Amino acid sequence: MELLLWLVPIVALAVLALPLPRRVRHAVSLAETLATAAVATFATWTVLTQGTAAPAMPGNLFYLDAVSVILLDLVALVGLLTSLYTIGYVEEEIRRGSLDPKKVRALYLLIHGFLFTMVLTLTLRNLGGVWIAIEATTLASVFLVGFHNGKAALEAAWKYIILCSVGITLAMIGIVFLNSAAQGVLAEGTSLDWTALFARADSLDGSYLKFAFIFLLIGFGTKAGLAPMHNWLPDAHSQAPSPVSALLSGVLLNAAMYAILRTAAIVNRNLGSSLYTGRLLVGLGVLSVATAAVFLLTQKDYKRLLAYSSIEHMGLAAIGIGLFTPLSLFAAFYHMINHSLTKSLLFLSSGTVLQKTGTREIGRVGGLLKLLPVTGPVFLLGLVAIGGTPPFSLFASELALLTSVFQQKLYVLGAGIALLLALVFAGIIQALFRVFYPRPAAVAAARAGTAPAPAAPLVPGEPNRFGAVAVVVLLALILVTGVFLPSWLTKLIDAAQTILTGQGGG
Amino acid sequence: MEPFSVVLSALLLLSAFVLMASKRIHSYIGAFRVQAVLVALNTGLLGLTTVAATGRVDLLVVCAAILALKVWYIPRVLHRTYRAVEYRVEKDFLFNIPTLVLLSLSLVVVVFVAVSRIGAVQDGTTLVLLVDSLSTALVGLFFLISRKKAIGQIVGLLAIENGLFVTALYASNGMPFIVDIGVFIDLVSAVLILGVLVFRIESAFETTDTDAMSDLKG
Repeated sequence: MELLLWLVPIVALAVLALPLPRRVRHAVSLAETLATAAVATFATWTVLTQGTAAPAMPGNLFYLDAVSVILLDLVALVGLLTSLYTIGYVEEEIRRGSLDPKKVRALYLLIHGFLFTMVLTLTLRNLGGVWIAIEATTLASVFLVGFHNGKAALEAAWKYIILCSVGITLAMIGIVFLNSAAQGVLAEGTSLDWTALFARADSLDGSYLKFAFIFLLIGFGTKAGLAPMHNWLPDAHSQAPSPVSALLSGVLLNAAMYAILRTAAIVNRNLGSSLYTGRLLVGLGVLSVATAAVFLLTQKDYKRLLAYSSIEHMGLAAIGIGLFTPLSLFAAFYHMINHSLTKSLLFLSSGTVLQKTGTREIGRVGGLLKLLPVTGPVFLLGLVAIGGTPPFSLFASELALLTSVFQQKLYVLGAGIALLLALVFAGIIQALFRVFYPRPAAVAAARAGTAPAPAAPLVPGEPNRFGAVAVVVLLALILVTGVFLPSWLTKLIDAAQTILTGQGGG
Repeated sequence: MEPFSVVLSALLLLSAFVLMASKRIHSYIGAFRVQAVLVALNTGLLGLTTVAATGRVDLLVVCAAILALKVWYIPRVLHRTYRAVEYRVEKDFLFNIPTLVLLSLSLVVVVFVAVSRIGAVQDGTTLVLLVDSLSTALVGLFFLISRKKAIGQIVGLLAIENGLFVTALYASNGMPFIVDIGVFIDLVSAVLILGVLVFRIESAFETTDTDAMSDLKG
């Protein structure tokens, strides 16, 4: 049954490759994500009741447990809402003349190929396979980043593929050395399986593992957008069409983080403490939050603002993984969930804002609450949420993370993170005020500046009704998870944390 | 077979230096091709010994794939791309060649220190093999950083992969078969995608010098 997670996208890709009218394409796309969400729900239920989901198949490639199923559900959920959004987005782009109807086929094929590679990343048992799938996510999304073929988009795409490919090649060194650490310990053919590596972690060679982990962290960290390997991220995330940005920021970063989580768990178990991986992860995490804070304060482009905020949140998740205590891991997972939902909300609404106003510049947007009666307020609340304000869920997870830092008596680190979060908050809120409550004169001056004045005055109204539904659903979700976590989700996160720390039999 | 491996790994490292010292894009591609031949020889040699020992033919299949893809197909794609987009000769490196070679030499020293600190690497031969192959990968990485032309960067990526592949051979007699094949599929798609991107960049920027692409900042 779980194997449908692979089968559904393959069938959908085959169908989308056929010459079809646009309406049918929209329907197929939505149906694919609906089906994936349904199977993911089933898989979640299996994991909840049985602990793992590993249907029999040749080669035993498929494996799901609590760690991967949480992130898989996010792929399914964000994928579903994004495909709903994309219907309205594509129609509006075609109406505005900025998308050639002939390119819709390519867009849908690439988006669903991209979703499929992410599902693969999270459902493969073999670390080598995960590596292949992560490289495949880059290859599937590079033309999505460069979709508009303008100079900026091509520059972003080139940076994206070169930096991420180099990063992922370095991760390969790590995998090679993990493989040699497992030689003679694990049976031939299972030497890179998560389960086998983790179960026998004690008997692996520690010096190999330490060497391997550095390369794995640099490699997958590049893909997760950790500073100082983050350079490609603001470009790629801001130049991609907005539904793609939502997928890149909302779920792809998590998929890369997932690989780090698993390898860190193996190394920690072998070394008997999390000090070695912890120092590296917390170091990169703090550096990411600090880098993001600086760029957030001076950002002029709202899509880049969102991209830098992703670096910040991945940094926070890395800190949580680095500490590797039950509470910090819980916080890291909770944070990844919240970031996923909030950031896809923001990127989707920013797409509508971009379509409505035709500008990415914060200072030139102006009057959103009137222009976009639904998306406008949602975008505002989303920005409030991403800054880490209660009652939204990111506040809850940031609080949990800080608590876990102080629980470890790392007062300086905790104070530093709190200070950086305050800076981030200042950057976001300052941008928020410039977007929503600008001085009219400033907007007029900016608009009169370089770009030609809009041919017709902007008329209030939602250009993308499907999109409005999608973002409202996301807003409801981050409000609910901010105050209340359903018991099945708490149970899943607890199970994930137990699997990673190896307590209770793993 | 060990003496052969040591010689081959030394030649591989030498080919990385030849690549680093090349000035023209045609000679990059030539150096890469020589490197790929060495990788194939290494794989074939190890493949023959595993066939003799265990009867498994995995590595020979991989060796054939290397000959077909890295020695024949990919250089062809690169030459074709080059002819289509490069009509003038421009300087393509950040520092002059002797500096680059000296920096690459110091990289080899760094790798030597790092690898000799892995406790599990005890015997001298393994150490030499790992140092040679990992240095090849890192010199490839440095090559990528030091070139400005898009095609040079593609060759750099391929050179890193060559070094890594041989590292995998020496460190653990190769990866599981399915991983090797998957890596190949990724590699070939990456080169094809990069080739297409080079064409698009050329038509948008009228050059493939990546320094021209510097609009996105901050």
